[in-house]
Amino acid sequence: MKRRDGRALAQLYDRHGRPVYALILRMVRNHEVAEDLVQETFLRFWNRAQIFDEQKCALGPWLLAVARNRALDYVRSQEGPGGGLAVCEEAEDPRLCAALEAGVSFAEQAQRAKQALARLPEDQRQAIELACFDCLSPTAMAAKLGKPPGTLQTWLRSALTEMRRAMEAGVAE
Amino acid sequence: MSCEELREQYELYALGLAEEPERSEIRAHLDRRCAACERGFRQALRLVAALGTTAQAAAPPSRLRRRLLASVGVPERHYGWPVAWAAAALLFLSAAVYFSGRERQYAEESLRLRGQLGDQAAELRRSQEARAILSAPGTIEVAFGQDQPAQPAGRVFINPTLGAMLIASHLPPAPAGMTYEMWIIPKRGAPRPAGLFQSRSDGTAMHVEPGAADVAATEAIAVTLQDEAGAPQPATEPSIVAPLPVAGR
Repeated sequence: MKRRDGRALAQLYDRHGRPVYALILRMVRNHEVAEDLVQETFLRFWNRAQIFDEQKCALGPWLLAVARNRALDYVRSQEGPGGGLAVCEEAEDPRLCAALEAGVSFAEQAQRAKQALARLPEDQRQAIELACFDCLSPTAMAAKLGKPPGTLQTWLRSALTEMRRAMEAGVAE
Repeated sequence: MSCEELREQYELYALGLAEEPERSEIRAHLDRRCAACERGFRQALRLVAALGTTAQAAAPPSRLRRRLLASVGVPERHYGWPVAWAAAALLFLSAAVYFSGRERQYAEESLRLRGQLGDQAAELRRSQEARAILSAPGTIEVAFGQDQPAQPAGRVFINPTLGAMLIASHLPPAPAGMTYEMWIIPKRGAPRPAGLFQSRSDGTAMHVEPGAADVAATEAIAVTLQDEAGAPQPATEPSIVAPLPVAGR
């Protein structure tokens, strides 16, 4: 991939294209925009391929982080400044790229997350999904759900703490 | 703020939800390469990425792959419907040829097996006829070639109602295009054809001619080499002549 081999890009897309597309589509809710942003996501990697160390950096999580930023950027551009979430630029920094846990594939991590999310109380799960996919800040969530912002802050923190524990323990059941 | 104080903020930061002053604090820690914050942030990125995979599954259109690869100068071959139809037609044609070949093969095999079965049935019928002639009362047994080494030798059995049977040895296989023909030689009149047969590669032969035979009017049983179609009258000198005795067995 470092030699910018088109076949390697094709393999990367075949492996990660589907979850990247699904995440972006869920966030922007527009097929054409999603296709543009998926292409942009993979091209971002293509243009930086030489500086990635695949031993230290798991490409799946990195691509999803880039995808999330691209989608978030688009949503912010549609909604105007002030109301949305902030783009996390550090998430795209190859130096901070997350390696996978030893002996745990990204697919297993994704499965853990899915199971942990399903175990959360309904309000906490809803708060997580509104943050992840609807790009809502706690204040915007509170307005949407008719709850105090502090309550949404608490739900979010509790949900993320529980998710973190489940991911670290590797036990989601 | 200390790293410990920021510990609960990494996921919120990765999601873009961190508020001030935590947001600026984390950014400052990462900028100065704080090892603890980098470690915590990486774990947060893993969690956020895993959360991203819980979005409802959706398959990107196939054109997106082509578009992506084309954008980096890797044109992907796109065959389209005409080629797909041609490929399908070719597949169908190949299947038809293959299965017709198999059908022909099965038909040939079936024919061969039926032929084998017919041969076995004929052999069984011939054995039954031979057994009947051998065991029936009134059958006359005649030996031939007994004192002539290297000449065909054997026995003839003839029954008035069941027919005649020849068992021979030292009867060499007939040349290509030729066959052996058995004759019933009457005391008066022309020889009567009594069936065609071949000897085996070891020189043995058995031939049965079923049907009534006028033993008293028969002079001998003979065998000649004939064209494979046989002949109404002997065309060559007999290979075997087995004269019948005057008296029955």
